[in-house]
Amino acid sequence: MSDLFDLSARHLTTRAGIDTEELTGRTFPYQFDRTLVDDVDLMAATPGEDLNWLEDIHLMSEDGIPAVFDRYTNAFLKIHFEIPPGREDEYARKVLIKHLQEGNSYGVWLKYRHAKFPQPELGSWLRNSPTVGENWTPPQLEGWEPPDGH
Amino acid sequence: MVAMSTRRSRNDIRGLAEPDVEAPKTARIEGDTAVFDAADLSPRQINLELRRLVYGEQIPEVTIENPGAKHSVAVGILTRCRITIDGSVGYFGATLGDGPEIHITGRVGWSVAENMMSGVTVIDKNAGSLTGAAMRGGDLVIRGHVGARTGIDQKGGTIIVGGNAGALTGFMMQRGRQIICGDAGPGMGDSMYDGAIYVGGAVASLGVDCVEAEMTPEDDELIDRKFRIYGMDRPASFRKFVCGKKLWNYDNLEPSERKLVL
Repeated sequence: MSDLFDLSARHLTTRAGIDTEELTGRTFPYQFDRTLVDDVDLMAATPGEDLNWLEDIHLMSEDGIPAVFDRYTNAFLKIHFEIPPGREDEYARKVLIKHLQEGNSYGVWLKYRHAKFPQPELGSWLRNSPTVGENWTPPQLEGWEPPDGH
Repeated sequence: MVAMSTRRSRNDIRGLAEPDVEAPKTARIEGDTAVFDAADLSPRQINLELRRLVYGEQIPEVTIENPGAKHSVAVGILTRCRITIDGSVGYFGATLGDGPEIHITGRVGWSVAENMMSGVTVIDKNAGSLTGAAMRGGDLVIRGHVGARTGIDQKGGTIIVGGNAGALTGFMMQRGRQIICGDAGPGMGDSMYDGAIYVGGAVASLGVDCVEAEMTPEDDELIDRKFRIYGMDRPASFRKFVCGKKLWNYDNLEPSERKLVL
């Protein structure tokens, strides 16, 4: 895990479901406050002339709570604020884009240690983000020695 | 410029071929655009030059001339930019992209835009087999015909084909949409789990667990919008095909397996 991110509050369990809070040990303000995502411009945040990849993002649920799936982490991000009827997918997409643009996706955190090739940290979601993956070194298993002949 | 004959052929620990080759820095940069000639470059050099421009120089519009049907060109671009490839490319072109809008003016080999996460890829002529394989998001437009197994294991996004599609179109498709203006070959939608395939022409035969469904206003809105964006002529009518759900076993899968198709 990257030293840049504090995971001291994380408590991984063996339950079947995995969500962002379990992986990071944190929640984020935009999971609770709708006004923090109201100004997210979905069209500006996606390539092309329509919603592009966000067309496949819908409001779902995890542990009985509304949630959006973050494919960059392979986990759900729960949404605790009240969503106006008929705007479920819109707010799911806005929360996800906010999450990605602020660099809080757990999969993005992993880039700092595991990205093997130079790439923008925040990919296509935010211009001019830092470059990660420039100094990758293969992980070493402590105490392990290659067998003779290798 | 480093000639192809001087490149080394070993791989490094990451599996990267030609690890010691550097970007040739031959592009002509004018403002927000850049152009470079790929005639004498290896695929590795082409991709290095492309990344130097869009990552390092922050150039939003790049044109690659004389691609020479080389394989694996414009691979793994993870930022918003516009790339024009003026000619044809070989297999695995424009793959693993997350954000770029790529226009290929010629033909492409198999597996174009494989694993595309987001972005737009437009091909003016024909594409080989496995077009849009395992694609997860974005739009993939082929103005000509495509080969077999288009959108195999597709998990999202929209594939639009102006001409005909070969056998096993949408094989094991799990999410997303395909719009085929012409005819579709035998076994269409075989073992598809979800998603929709719209066909404007004739379907040779349906695969296992693929059934016809009624078009809805939402379907027409999607097709009209995509055709308007890409300036394509819409066939008079479309038929919609979806999963018959006889093979569905989601309830028995572990949650982590279920997430693999999201």
